[in-house]
Amino acid sequence: MDLFLQQLVNGLVLGATYGLIALGYTMVYGIVQLINFAHGEIFMLGGFGALTTYLALPSGTPAGVALPLMLLGGMAVSVTVAVIMERFAYRPLRGAPRLAPLITALGVSIALQELIRNFYPRAKSARNFPQLVNPDRRFSLGGDVSISAPNLLTIVVAVIGMVALSTFVRRSRTGRAMQATAQDPDTARLMGIDTDRIIVTAFVLGAALAAVAGLAQGLRFGQVDFRMGFITGIKAFTAAVLGGIGNISGAVLGGFTLGLVEVMATQYAPEPFAGGAWKDAWAFVVLIVVLVFRPTGLLGERVAARA
Amino acid sequence: MSVVAAARTRGGALVAPFARQLGLAGSVLLVICCFLPWSTYSGFPGKMLNSTPGGARLYVLLLALFGFLFVKDLPGRRRALGSASTFAFVIALLTMLFIAYAGRGLVNVGSGAFVGVVAALLYMVGARSLPEDDRTAPVRSLPDGRWRAAVESVLCVLAAVAALAAFVIGLGIPSTSIADGEDYRLGGAISLNDLTNESQFLSFLLFLCGLMLALSRMGVIASLGAITKRHSKVLVAAGLMAAVVFPFTQGGDGYSLRIAASIGVFAAAAVGLNIVVGLAGLLDLGYIAFFGVGAYFAAIVSGSITSVIDVHLPFGLVILLSALIAGLFGVLLGAPTLRLRGDYLAIVTLGFGEIFRITVNNLDGSAGPKLTNGPNGVSNIPDLVLPGGFSFGENHNLFGVDLPFQANYYWLEVILVAVVMTAFLRLAESRIGRAWVAIREDELAAAATGINTTRLKLLAFALGATLAGAAGSVSAHVVKVAAPDSFTFLESALLLAAVILGGMGTVQGALLGATVLYLLPEKLRFLQDLRLLVFGIVLVLIMRLRPEGLVPSKRRQREFHEAGGGADALAAPPGHAGALG
Amino acid sequence: MTIVLQASAVTKRFGGLTAVKSVDLEVNEGEVVGLIGPNGAGKTTFFNCLTGLETPTAGEVTYRGTPLPRRPDLVTKAGVARTFQNIRLFPNMTALENVLVGRHTRTRAGVLAAVGRGPRYHREERESEDRSRELLDFVGLGKVRNELAKALPYGDQRKLEIARALATDPGLLLLDEPTAGMNPNETAATVKLVRAIQERSIAIVLIEHDMRFVFGLCDRVAVLVQGEKLMEGPPSAVQADERVVAAYLGTPTEEDTA
Repeated sequence: MDLFLQQLVNGLVLGATYGLIALGYTMVYGIVQLINFAHGEIFMLGGFGALTTYLALPSGTPAGVALPLMLLGGMAVSVTVAVIMERFAYRPLRGAPRLAPLITALGVSIALQELIRNFYPRAKSARNFPQLVNPDRRFSLGGDVSISAPNLLTIVVAVIGMVALSTFVRRSRTGRAMQATAQDPDTARLMGIDTDRIIVTAFVLGAALAAVAGLAQGLRFGQVDFRMGFITGIKAFTAAVLGGIGNISGAVLGGFTLGLVEVMATQYAPEPFAGGAWKDAWAFVVLIVVLVFRPTGLLGERVAARA
Repeated sequence: MSVVAAARTRGGALVAPFARQLGLAGSVLLVICCFLPWSTYSGFPGKMLNSTPGGARLYVLLLALFGFLFVKDLPGRRRALGSASTFAFVIALLTMLFIAYAGRGLVNVGSGAFVGVVAALLYMVGARSLPEDDRTAPVRSLPDGRWRAAVESVLCVLAAVAALAAFVIGLGIPSTSIADGEDYRLGGAISLNDLTNESQFLSFLLFLCGLMLALSRMGVIASLGAITKRHSKVLVAAGLMAAVVFPFTQGGDGYSLRIAASIGVFAAAAVGLNIVVGLAGLLDLGYIAFFGVGAYFAAIVSGSITSVIDVHLPFGLVILLSALIAGLFGVLLGAPTLRLRGDYLAIVTLGFGEIFRITVNNLDGSAGPKLTNGPNGVSNIPDLVLPGGFSFGENHNLFGVDLPFQANYYWLEVILVAVVMTAFLRLAESRIGRAWVAIREDELAAAATGINTTRLKLLAFALGATLAGAAGSVSAHVVKVAAPDSFTFLESALLLAAVILGGMGTVQGALLGATVLYLLPEKLRFLQDLRLLVFGIVLVLIMRLRPEGLVPSKRRQREFHEAGGGADALAAPPGHAGALG
Repeated sequence: MTIVLQASAVTKRFGGLTAVKSVDLEVNEGEVVGLIGPNGAGKTTFFNCLTGLETPTAGEVTYRGTPLPRRPDLVTKAGVARTFQNIRLFPNMTALENVLVGRHTRTRAGVLAAVGRGPRYHREERESEDRSRELLDFVGLGKVRNELAKALPYGDQRKLEIARALATDPGLLLLDEPTAGMNPNETAATVKLVRAIQERSIAIVLIEHDMRFVFGLCDRVAVLVQGEKLMEGPPSAVQADERVVAAYLGTPTEEDTA
């Protein structure tokens, strides 16, 4: 039983990461119907941005000062790249055949990975990430179930980020304009909403949350890798679809669900298909099964069928 | 930007009255320079010392000959001259800079190079100052007459021979050999002295681009296209002959044949993918997995000592079974997912590709049943032996020419590519192909016109998978191993890049795209590490600047350049309903 | 007279909205039936229910005595073809190719035949092409068969859509506003075209807002108002009916209560 509960905790931590990234996919898809393939890379860049910030800080900076700065640094990198990407790769393609933006997204994704691999110092394989939050420090949750400090931090930060985003979208003027643009961009434009600005906002918010996930990833595993965005990105997209793409609560729910499924399948799947070697495969099986049996996701997607 | 443009216009106005004289003088001078030595030391290959032009000098010379257009006004003159002169200038400049670098200083640059660069500049300025062309000139064709068909057929043959020659020359430029695992980055460990081969290949490539652009702007390519369309059988036969003859031009060298065979593998897969993406409009991001299914199946049942199953089926049967099994996977994956929106399909295929890669990585006896040997793959696939005792692993002598054993595998690839191409071309112009295009254009209207859209999409998907399976089984025999790292997502992305670069929906495009994408990193070694970066950027740029690819299908070209979506099913919906909440 | 199409009690609900309410319609061999009604009366939804683009919530549709399948391609194969209100051609195919696509259900060549190209394949292709050329001549587009569909003028696009529908060898043709956006000359040409189609013993149901066109052409007219069939009868009777006039103009009391 303790094992199960422990895995539950692990699943929730993993799911929090997926959820944070999934929000970026879902917002952009909700507004411009684009699967922004490169969003996983934005997450990866967030991790590298945080690392760069750390390296720029004088050694001996206390963690309490370094962490917020690293978060800001990661966000700055992610957001900048996301805005440039939107402006120069995607925006010119609005109204182009549907394959065009998807292929562009693929190209951006490959290019960003390769930029880091080739030009970030010593990034051809995983790079060490400072263990500012001691992973050996664990908090007991009763019985043998416990959660490590970086994992706890991940959950807390993720929940704060999700709540902040949902409040923003529901309460703020810009958030309401985003909803309106998603419903009907033409009418929104007639109502005086600058839809270009709204689309950029969606990219910015998604990138900021992805950067949070990137920093969390670095702290949890003690390393960042130019490859980490690709698989995690696809899984986060799975989470978004699982929850119902275009649906913000759905992305969060989908993230947690996928995290749990992945952890549980790795633990409890029949031999020989259990274990870490198969965990990615399980995530993709979930993706295919969901798309086949419930393409609208758990909470129902908020993108009406386009005739 | 506008300041520059304004300055250029003003400068142009100044030169315009003398444009022809200036350009002509430049081109004549450039021709003369090509017979002068460009380098004072012998370290630079490509015949830069003596007075016979070779290498870069020859390319510049040929491009300079377009200068005759200053005298004779043919349609598209300004734009053709613009391309020829610009490329001549770039090649001359690059070559000069390279000689200076490699020879450690300008002292080693011969007089010819200095004057040549200046002449090329004059040539270019003259060309760019000419009056604008009349762009309404029709496509010209030969006058009717008794000999017209014969002349046109000869032109087709010449086109095929020219293509072969370009391929042989390009392939013949040696590649810099590098030790495995060596870090290659521009400005890194490699000294520019080692880049002589790269410099040669680059100038050859630039020359080809300049030549093709200039010819196409003069309408020659369009006319030739019309001719080859009329005599497609002659062209296909000539092309096939050229491909078959290729090994005899290699003087017993196996290296180029191995490269050519690899291009064949890549091209066959790209043409197959083009059926799925180009004709039916389905974005398949896991195509390499079907290829992998065929490769692994072939590797396992062909008597490899590393295979866990000790059988050795005849080659023909292996191809057939590989194709069938891959096709079956296509049906199993496609049947439930093809009713989904196009972008979801892309993700599902990507997921399938990853599952395949993970699975073959894991079936090594520890994380799963032992079948694929995990990361090591199934290797040591024995050489093919035909029933008559003809072994693919031995050198043979044909028509008095000694041919290395690689020629056998090369011809095998030629057959494969020919088969896949035939399938593509014939399907495209058939009831089935029309239905695919109709679905791509407007799925709902296609259904209302009586097309079973789900079935036809599944057909395209499964057929693509079948061809990939066949290509995979052949390739396993060519490379003698099936290992997981040949079937990663990046391979799928590269195939897609080949299809898109060449042009969606055309077979020539897929061939050209595959060749370019394979040869560039092979010949430009400094690109080796950067090649994925370059591909990524190329994908973005092509979608932005020339979404129809290098050799567009007429239909696709219209599609991508129409203003506004209209009833185009592929276009983003003008009005759509979605919500965030 | 044989009954070609029989729709009984066809109902379509979208959530709380009933777009089509228990509509009956019969079409006889060789008949031209008009379907009129104000905007939003459910005419196109009714068409969609007949042609399998929408699944009716209730009701039955039979074509020559057998129930129509619920899938658009099978409906076409069964012999009911249609055009769309907002023209849906294959814009980047030529006129001829558009019509050739219409031959799809009536031809059989599969992948193997297309790759193998035996004599039967060539015969079938030739027949398809001859038939498509003939149909293009029939609707008056013989000269522009190699033009792209999207390059054709509006009136020609409507004709091309009709030719494509005819290529499926239908027994019943459903035309959704065939004269929308046409000038009087083009409308007159369309009248002739519909008559010519009728002469090929193909029954026609058409949705139309041009009353002169409808009353001059149709053997029978049905009026749909707010999803329900208000009345049905010969043009003269429908034209004279007060309820029809009221439905189109709206009575003041109705406006106020609505």
